[in-house]
Amino acid sequence: MFKYQSTKSTGSKSWVIQRVTGVALVILMIGHYILMHYNPDSGHTYGAVLNRMSYSWYRIIDISFLILGMYHGLNGVWGIFRDYKLKTWQNYTVIALLLIFGLAFVAWGISIIFSIPYIHTTSAH
Amino acid sequence: MSQNNYSKIKTFDQRGWVKENLSYKKDPGSWAWILHRITGIALIGYLFLHIYSLSPLTQGEAAFNDKMKSFTSPFFMFIEWLLFAFVLFHSLNGIRIVLVDWADGAKYQKSLYVWSWIVGVVLFIMMGIVMFSYEIGLLAK
Repeated sequence: MFKYQSTKSTGSKSWVIQRVTGVALVILMIGHYILMHYNPDSGHTYGAVLNRMSYSWYRIIDISFLILGMYHGLNGVWGIFRDYKLKTWQNYTVIALLLIFGLAFVAWGISIIFSIPYIHTTSAH
Repeated sequence: MSQNNYSKIKTFDQRGWVKENLSYKKDPGSWAWILHRITGIALIGYLFLHIYSLSPLTQGEAAFNDKMKSFTSPFFMFIEWLLFAFVLFHSLNGIRIVLVDWADGAKYQKSLYVWSWIVGVVLFIMMGIVMFSYEIGLLAK
């Protein structure tokens, strides 16, 4: 598969994107941890989730976190497979599986986020 | 690998790669690479699990709170704490990799590896104190 690749496509672009998304994920992860583990309720009760999800900007951050995390993770897995000289059909199978599972779970995650109603509950934390 | 070993370089042996990976003497960079890979695989696995475990959000309050109850047991909290260790290593070593790539970090990558462990262990213990503050309070009584 890579035998016929031109020098223009050495994978360096995906390497750079992996660095950029990695830095973004570290920043998002810090916010995620503070919000989710500020107290035991903040990450584990429906009311707290409703409260956060009543802000559209929070939904946007959540969805970008999901997409960035999935891209970074699956690109990393693909990077592992690239270390072991697989046959062309094996490479295509791996890419297809990663794409199908990645897209399906991102779609699932986004649909979960959109299924949460916009209600601001004052009783929750 | 020493400088005059080029004649000994073999072609990649796909079947013996476990043995080969275990055989050479490892620098901090080798360990960082191995651990980065293991934690990375674990974290992408966890992301899939995380989406699955949050799916009861679509079924309303009762279903979600019921599911979350199982995650607040001390056993699951301990697992979550270990997960944080994986996140910490992957994040701190990721920063190390970025510095090696973009900030001349190759010159100080070995001390960066040591520092990522020091910072990681400190943050890990701090997170443990935050997460188990209730249990620690019970012990102190």
